[in-house]
Amino acid sequence: MGSFLRRYAQPYLFIAPAAVVMLLVVLYPFIYNFIIAFSNMSLYHLRNPEFVGLQHFRTIFTEPEIVSVFAKTVIWTVVNVAAHLFLGVGLAILLNQEVKGRGIFRALLILPWAMPQYITALTWRGMFNYQYGAVNLMLRALHLPAVPWQANEYWALAAPIIANIWLGFPFMMIIALGGLQSIPKELYEAAEIDGAGWWFRLRKITLPLLKPVLVPATVLGTIWTFNNLNVIWLVSHYGEPADKTHILVTYVYKAAFHYYRYGYAAAFSVVIFILLLSFVVYFLKATGEKGAAG
Amino acid sequence: MTMKKLLSVISGVFAAFLFLSILAGCGGGGQKGPARIVLWEIMDPEERVILDEFLDAYNASHADVEVSRTNFAPEQLRTQFLTAAMGGGGPDLVFGPADNAGPFSIASVVHPVDEIFPGDYLARFIPLAFDTLAGHIWTLPAQVGNHLCLISNSDIVKTPPATFEEMIRIASDFTADTNGDGSIDRYGLVFESKEPFWLVPFLGSFGGWVMDAEHNPTLDTPAMVKTLRFVSDLRNRYGIMPRECDYQLSDTMFKEGKAAMTINGHWSWRGYDDAGIPIILSSIPKNEKTGLWAVPMISSRGYSVNVNIEGEQLERVKELLKYLVSPEIQVAYATKLSVIPSIREAFDDPAVKKLDRIAASWEQYQRGKRMPVVPEMRAIWDAMRPAFQNVLNGEATPEDAARAMQKDAVRKIREMKG
Amino acid sequence: MTKRALKSALRHGALALFTLATIYPIVQVVSISLRPGDRLYTTSLALIPEGASLDAYHAILFDKPFLLWMRNSLIVSVSVTIIGVALAATAGYAFARFRFPGRGAGMLAFLVTQMFPATMLLLPLFLLLRKIGLVDAMPGLIIAYVATALPFCVWTMKGYYESIPVELEEAAMVDGTTRVGAFTRVTLPLSAPALMITALFSFMTAWSEFMVARVIIQKLGLYTLPLGLESLAGTFQTEWANYSAGAILVCIPVVALFLALNRYLVSGLTLGGVKG
Repeated sequence: MGSFLRRYAQPYLFIAPAAVVMLLVVLYPFIYNFIIAFSNMSLYHLRNPEFVGLQHFRTIFTEPEIVSVFAKTVIWTVVNVAAHLFLGVGLAILLNQEVKGRGIFRALLILPWAMPQYITALTWRGMFNYQYGAVNLMLRALHLPAVPWQANEYWALAAPIIANIWLGFPFMMIIALGGLQSIPKELYEAAEIDGAGWWFRLRKITLPLLKPVLVPATVLGTIWTFNNLNVIWLVSHYGEPADKTHILVTYVYKAAFHYYRYGYAAAFSVVIFILLLSFVVYFLKATGEKGAAG
Repeated sequence: MTMKKLLSVISGVFAAFLFLSILAGCGGGGQKGPARIVLWEIMDPEERVILDEFLDAYNASHADVEVSRTNFAPEQLRTQFLTAAMGGGGPDLVFGPADNAGPFSIASVVHPVDEIFPGDYLARFIPLAFDTLAGHIWTLPAQVGNHLCLISNSDIVKTPPATFEEMIRIASDFTADTNGDGSIDRYGLVFESKEPFWLVPFLGSFGGWVMDAEHNPTLDTPAMVKTLRFVSDLRNRYGIMPRECDYQLSDTMFKEGKAAMTINGHWSWRGYDDAGIPIILSSIPKNEKTGLWAVPMISSRGYSVNVNIEGEQLERVKELLKYLVSPEIQVAYATKLSVIPSIREAFDDPAVKKLDRIAASWEQYQRGKRMPVVPEMRAIWDAMRPAFQNVLNGEATPEDAARAMQKDAVRKIREMKG
Repeated sequence: MTKRALKSALRHGALALFTLATIYPIVQVVSISLRPGDRLYTTSLALIPEGASLDAYHAILFDKPFLLWMRNSLIVSVSVTIIGVALAATAGYAFARFRFPGRGAGMLAFLVTQMFPATMLLLPLFLLLRKIGLVDAMPGLIIAYVATALPFCVWTMKGYYESIPVELEEAAMVDGTTRVGAFTRVTLPLSAPALMITALFSFMTAWSEFMVARVIIQKLGLYTLPLGLESLAGTFQTEWANYSAGAILVCIPVVALFLALNRYLVSGLTLGGVKG
């Protein structure tokens, strides 16, 4: 034991402060939820919840809309994260080159991140109004047909996705900008001398060397987007049209806050948790992130 | 920086944490001082301004008591109060809509008002102000109303319509494309046409209602089918309402003078004044086909007392509560925000009696019907909303929508009780 | 026109166009803040509304306790930034440079905390903090925010450290520096861009967060900016003009912080220079 401690004392000491804070905040809420997920805790059984085993999990997997909501959650997450990555990395590369007024561009481009989400999400909703919204007014000015952003099932999912892409790309841009600083300029110069084109440089130098910072940002971006209730909730005004614009966390929210079905909501959260955990473990293995595997 | 330095910085941060936590802990208990009374409320910003004035006055005149308030969104107040009160804590008082009574009574987290106040005190209130559930009153009403009325821009509408026919005619006359760009830029009627709360007045005018006496949903009825057809016709057949007309669009268009009439509650009137729109209030019209007036939902808002409060503290809270619903405060709310008082002395006060808006609102109130306060109502709202939107978007017939509402409501209620 | 000039023009054009599209919704918020009568929407395309006034800015600055909210938010955000960066810089370093039992599990554990829907963690967190007396106390809020920001910060620091050649540290250690000395004097300065990212992220986590604050803070005197702004909203009526004016003002410290940190993002302190 003594030699074990001597050997590993340093890394454990380095990690301890962060670990203590995390445990303090999340341990109890986690255990609490995992326990009530197997109980019938609800408004009618608030003081005397009973153990009900896997009952909630059976209910969840037989919800009639579960497949379509899951599909929409996946579309919502994949499109958002892909767009954040594409725009964020693209803009970072542009801004890392010689650009006049670079500082001004950077400062303006982080504004979507800096502004409180509630007001910008509602502003986007206004911009998506069929008759008076700025988006359709511009489409009409370009002689394109107006789009029923709030009445059609598919456009109604597109609207919050567009709003959320706008909200999220600045974050990815900043991370990519930071990551680009760790790439030695000499590598590009050498590649240029060898006559390599920009596509080659992007694929063989920029992206691989950005990976260390992009992998955690992508993993966490995926988790956050998957569980991001606010934007879709506000832009679609609680699921319009006709409750067709929902993602999985909406169920958690509604069950807990509308119907006081705490046990069910906790069980749903456990399902979401397991889905995300499986994805992350798989993703980290696939991207060759040694840390999580070893 | 060396390891030692780094460690000392980190441990310093932790020490500071610990110190601050201990300080914060001490702040909570132990110390002698005024008794604290905590109020959680869901008021609108302008209501809070009035409340704060009176709370400041109360704190100034009561050296032994310190009242503080926190604003919440309705859903959050309910859930957080349930959690806190179940754990033996929570605020002393909550202010909210009457339907808080449902969850609060089932979970027994508030005192029945009729057990902590004597009957002769409660007799000072308008009988219509009370909701009872399971044989008890759970909320001491501070205001009655919270209902929808018809609001007309008097520059455009000289006499508010008395029937649906008139309403449609006036609205059609005003609806126009004034700048000739091919799209209509002013409309006769705007209201939140995506929320079922705005559907209910019309449902009543066709003789329907949302639930029966046993709290079972009654949505798949001929009255509901006719209602859905009527509201969808307002937009799709008569063309007097814009597409995708939600609360914010209605509010904006009415404030811009681009809408002749709107349907909204007392909370909106001051905003129209501020925007310079001259308004007349009237009841939502009569359905000439059935001879019935429109039936908006009516309800009270008021205070509930945390069940964990007892003894001396309960007496202090009761005294504050009597102050909060006192005629003086209610008259202030009535004259400044056109809220109907719940206590008779304020209701009969000459300063309130002479207000046209209160009179019009009271007339509409008497034509309304109480919003059920049972938790089943939430399931019914959530079942009505999507089906209603489907009809407006032309995705479902009124018949199918009514059937879908009923089925969905029954299912949601079963799940909630499960 | 040379090919290079054409490319540069294209680059500037694309950036300018994209930036315009990006700030359009922001301009809308500015427009709401100038609009009289609290209208969230408008039926016209005019950016400067009829009857525009700066009343809302005056109201939010002088009639509301905006400066108090700002002060509280600054205290919380700056504390979270300092603690978050310090903890992430050390923990990330251990994960990047050491091999030890539980390393993989530990790193995954940081991620795992983010996977559970946050709404469900709030109520038990509230119960917990009440038990230890951290409700209505800034330390409670600060701890919660640090825990929210840490997973991203730890992973980002770890990723960045790994892109710095370990040989640099080894060389320093051969010269007689301790491990910690190598970390603080060699690796940490080279990680300026990553430190900047984690600082900005920690700051923003605390600066814009509403849900946790709503649960932990109830005293009006402790309101942070998001809580303060939210108090301008009601069930039906919201002070849209004041809200938007406040939202614009809330951006200013963030942009200022960003401009101050910008230097480190373009520091030119690239590895090439060190290695070469």
